[in-house]
Amino acid sequence: MNNIRRLVLDVLKPHEPSIIDLAQKLSNLEGIDGVNISIYEIDRKVENAKITVQGKNIMYDEVLKVIQDNGGAVHSIDEAVAGTIILDDVRTLQD
Amino acid sequence: MGFLKRRLRQFKEYDDIAEIGDIARRYFVMNAFDGVLTIIGVLTGSYAAHVESASVVISTGLATSIAMGISGLWGAYFTEAAERKRDLDELENHTLTDLSETRIGRASRVAGFVVALVDGLAPFLSALIALLPFFFSVSLGDIYLSYYLSLGIALLSLFGLGAFLGKVSRENIMLWGLKMVGAGLLSIGLGYFLGGWEGG
Repeated sequence: MNNIRRLVLDVLKPHEPSIIDLAQKLSNLEGIDGVNISIYEIDRKVENAKITVQGKNIMYDEVLKVIQDNGGAVHSIDEAVAGTIILDDVRTLQD
Repeated sequence: MGFLKRRLRQFKEYDDIAEIGDIARRYFVMNAFDGVLTIIGVLTGSYAAHVESASVVISTGLATSIAMGISGLWGAYFTEAAERKRDLDELENHTLTDLSETRIGRASRVAGFVVALVDGLAPFLSALIALLPFFFSVSLGDIYLSYYLSLGIALLSLFGLGAFLGKVSRENIMLWGLKMVGAGLLSIGLGYFLGGWEGG
């Protein structure tokens, strides 16, 4: 049973299609309730985006397909949350 | 209906990515202008040489329009394809991925096709419209009436193109229209005098 609730991805993408377009495309996917895309670095031809998707049943393959179809490349998966609840990162003494 | 709507939405998406509309607009005006001026050349030359057969003017004009259409189609397609491939390659170097089968790659291919179509059809159709009176020359009677009407249509088309540019640049539409008509009048004047002089 697929129970991924949240994914945070580091993506390198061209300026076009815009993040508005990409956010809409991702939010249209089944199992996704919300999408947040923020740009943290802009280059001449490309930009680095932090993509957060949240839902009840996220299918990573579908998310990846949409990102790739829009010219993006996933550099890393920075956070993955699965289960019946959404558990945030817990601070430890080492932090 | 749903299919058409989907296609239109897809085209709009491609337009946003590849900026097809802006480039097609430039090509349209540039090549329609070329088409009208070329046909003005054909008409003025025929007039100066006293060609009184409508079929001769039509076949010369049509052959010229077709050649311009094919030239536009071929030239724009390969130019766009080369330029867009270069852009895509450059983008691929940045993302380090193959973008040919993505929306960007598809938009790039559609752009080449649409721009070539506009580039080919603009001179062909604008020239054809200017030639229209010659198709009705039997009903019009005097062949010279066809010449005047054709030149009138050509100048009107030039005015229309100028007005369109005026609208694009958000400036005086009349002034832009007249600027374009100026090119047509210059072409008619020079063509007539040089053609007449050549013909003795």
